[in-house]
Amino acid sequence: MTGISTDVLLDIHRRMVRIRTFEEEAGKLMESGKIPGALHLYVGEEAVAAGVMVHLRDTDQITSTHRGHGHLVAKGGDLKRMYAELFGRATGYCKGKGGSMHVSDLDLGMLGANGIVGAGPPIAIGAAFSNKYRGTDDVTCCFFGDGASNEGTFHEAANMAALYKLPVIFICENNGFGEFTRQERHQAIHDIADRAAGYGMPGVVVDGMDALAVYESAGEAIARARRGDGPTFLEYKTYRYFDHVGVRGMGVIYREDSEVLEWRQRDPINLMEARLAEQGLLSPEGAAEVHEAALADVREAIAFAEASPFPEPSALMEDIYTLTASAGGGA
Amino acid sequence: MTTIEAPASREVPYVSAVAEAFAQLMREDPAIFIAGEDVALYGSVFGVTRGLLNEFGPERVIDTPIAESGIMGLGLGAAATGLRPIIDIMFMDFMGVCMDEVVNQIAKMKYMFGGKAKIPLTIHTMAGAGTSMAAQHSQSLEAWFCHVPGLKVVMPSGPYEAKGLMVAAVRDDNPVIVVNTKTILGMRAHVPEELYEIPLGKAHVVRPGTNFTILATGRMVGESVRAAELLASDGLDVEVIDPRTLQPFDTETVVASVKKTHRALVAHEAVRFGGIGAEFAAQIQEEAFDHLDAPVGRVGAPFTPVPFSPPLEKEYLPNADKIAAEVRRILGRQA
Amino acid sequence: MPGAVGLVVNPASGKDIRRLVASASVFDNREKLSIVRRAILGAIAAGVDRFIYMPDWHAIVASAIAELREDSEFEPLPVPSTDSALDTTRAAERMSELGVGCVITLGGDGTNRAFALGWQDAPLVAISTGTNNVFPQMVEGTVAGAAAGLVASGKVPLREASRQVKVVHVGIEGEKDDLALIDAVLLDEAFVGARAIWSPARLKTLVLARAEPAVVGMSAIGGLLHPVPDCADAGLVVEAGQGGQEVMAPIAPGLYAPVHVRTFRQIGLGETVEVRGPGVLALDGERERRIKPGQAVKLTVRRNGPIVVDVPAVMHRAATRGFFRSAQSEALDGD
Repeated sequence: MTGISTDVLLDIHRRMVRIRTFEEEAGKLMESGKIPGALHLYVGEEAVAAGVMVHLRDTDQITSTHRGHGHLVAKGGDLKRMYAELFGRATGYCKGKGGSMHVSDLDLGMLGANGIVGAGPPIAIGAAFSNKYRGTDDVTCCFFGDGASNEGTFHEAANMAALYKLPVIFICENNGFGEFTRQERHQAIHDIADRAAGYGMPGVVVDGMDALAVYESAGEAIARARRGDGPTFLEYKTYRYFDHVGVRGMGVIYREDSEVLEWRQRDPINLMEARLAEQGLLSPEGAAEVHEAALADVREAIAFAEASPFPEPSALMEDIYTLTASAGGGA
Repeated sequence: MTTIEAPASREVPYVSAVAEAFAQLMREDPAIFIAGEDVALYGSVFGVTRGLLNEFGPERVIDTPIAESGIMGLGLGAAATGLRPIIDIMFMDFMGVCMDEVVNQIAKMKYMFGGKAKIPLTIHTMAGAGTSMAAQHSQSLEAWFCHVPGLKVVMPSGPYEAKGLMVAAVRDDNPVIVVNTKTILGMRAHVPEELYEIPLGKAHVVRPGTNFTILATGRMVGESVRAAELLASDGLDVEVIDPRTLQPFDTETVVASVKKTHRALVAHEAVRFGGIGAEFAAQIQEEAFDHLDAPVGRVGAPFTPVPFSPPLEKEYLPNADKIAAEVRRILGRQA
Repeated sequence: MPGAVGLVVNPASGKDIRRLVASASVFDNREKLSIVRRAILGAIAAGVDRFIYMPDWHAIVASAIAELREDSEFEPLPVPSTDSALDTTRAAERMSELGVGCVITLGGDGTNRAFALGWQDAPLVAISTGTNNVFPQMVEGTVAGAAAGLVASGKVPLREASRQVKVVHVGIEGEKDDLALIDAVLLDEAFVGARAIWSPARLKTLVLARAEPAVVGMSAIGGLLHPVPDCADAGLVVEAGQGGQEVMAPIAPGLYAPVHVRTFRQIGLGETVEVRGPGVLALDGERERRIKPGQAVKLTVRRNGPIVVDVPAVMHRAATRGFFRSAQSEALDGD
């Protein structure tokens, strides 16, 4: 509950728009067969990534999920290297070896999107442990979904985080579905934050479509972690507009179209733009410029990716091991 | 232990060699910490971390909850952000609880990230039957991990190897799994006091010989030397090789030996079917087929869970006699 | 529907950011479910066999009913669930139309405010499962249920053991009216954000229906300056800001903060205080309405709010009338 500066407000808005634009264009490219493999799109959940990431430094880490593009875009990832990775090109973040589910940027503390549901929490506590061990006040934000909250890894990590008072923030993006299974069909509780007390940390429920509510709550939790007061569990109620994979969002067997439309009425970007307009901080023209700039960046990134070479076949056997000066060397 | 002998023959039990390696490594590099179940206050149930808490404090010697996935993830996150963790998994059987962390995360992060990540992580664990700990506390599962690109696997056969391989493992910038055998923790041998490395990926000729090669891992190295002694009375001059590192495997040293002896047998304590010996045998046949005078033999445990009852467990375990018998079978000779 | 007990449970109460920025209690939904069970059983013991309830998205009441296996009549209201405070307001409107005998609410001040928006003078037993609880009581669910049941069934007449509370009427220029049960506060904020209030520097004008020194929240600020209890026919206006005095008040659970107060004054019932934007208007401790620059807000305290059941008084009357005793002892004692 601190006055938010205009710069920060506009920054949050810009990050959300960049995510949305990145994802919508990526979705189209996947549908048209240009991007191989599976894409799990973050559209609808932008307020969470943007509202959290605006508080973070490059040295703060995050762990991400299979739905991870938004996290890296919000953390300041290079769109060109991201798109190149989605296209499987040698210029990609992972030289084409990771793809959508493994985009990462260790220089930005982004410890990877992850193909395994629930893989992030144990890694996050390791990074947080490292921050504490090295005597920094960096923090680790661990993003995961309602589905992952049922994985044993989450429970083990939550217990250890609270036990060791680690500077980690568990950020549960509850979008109501574990893949195609509705929340009430995969867990007997609705507020996952109810579990936090069981591990000895504060747990709060926040509207995840409201970037400012995300901003305030994340800011408090991050400050608490930096002070050395330990972990916090933040549950953001949000919604995935598209399918688990791809861009289809309507006419699916596991939810009603009307539900999607209801959530879209509280679209995080529209909500933010309405507020900024009301405060006279962003005109419709100003908003349009942000969208256009994001689209231009994304198009430039796509062009870069498409013009980039595929990896040489010889790269197949590279990057498996690190050559160690003092010890036995690679295989 | 009380050392009375002169330093030249500094005999140290396996367990102390490991503890010494840990302590010396931690003195050398402040980025090293050790975490695991009961490693701090209790000094590990096997005694390998005894004394570390006193010297290095609870910041670097960390008792964890019984939560193998959490512990392993903690190691990965710390390794990926600049530390050099040693993670203790009490019994190798418990690796099953954290297989995702080991196989999908630790082994693959570097490759998936296009080579950017460096994961200097050591996993220290205890394998082996022979203590009536039954099916869930006695297995030798090293073959599982040798199958996963991104991991290295070492298997010390005695105190000297235990220290030297541990030093190399911890200093290596890759995830290395150190598979100890709990029944040889009391074995004594000369161990230099200073820090030394046994290079990873390099096999060691334990006993030179001319007309048969036994390639053995872990505890089976000692058993194979005994078997070689038994076979010497048959007029056989057996060479025993300890690969020390299972992944990466030193094909070269082994193949050179087989080209000289023309006969080979692989021995390990793990279940024979699908054991690492199958891979070794295949490589020997690929690289030295024309030099072989007999099929490559294999000795391992039978295809059964490890039993509890001592007579059953004795029946289960490979040993010098079983190795010698297999060598004689290959040669078509009666014992 | 006289004779029926209404049940309204706010699944979202007791979970907001004040668990993080202050030391508020967590009310997990399993605990709410247990309270509902106890309340239902209390009401059944008091002779009620009909319940009308708000279906919440978390199915707290429905699950409690399913677990109880009681054959009383349980009727969900046909209101669509929006998973917002609107559900509570709509349920209140419907219960008012049906003439439910007494309503049990589970939540905090915000929950009861949402209910009063739909049924301003409802007969209420408010059980606290929220954060700042000036309006609801810390009362055992079993007993709360029994008291509600006694009132709903007419065994203890409502007028004998209740009082109508004051509320703050909120008129916002050009927009729909609003209501606060305890406090309406203009804040120097631009956004609703995470809703709660935990920064005293943002306070501008407080209009309090009650200023109580023994509570937490906005009411406590006034209460510690100049107590105005609910029984007093007056309200309190506090102007925050530099140039006056400082009061140390618990503005959230466990969160004592110095609040700078320029002036304060008691106001009579029906007297209107006008404030103007820009700012955010917080109602019962939660940021609710954004006020544009120059937009007028009229705040008036009146005694026409919910009729709050005095649970101890109801139970006392039931006891003196021997309601829970057997017929024989009732005959012996008479009444």
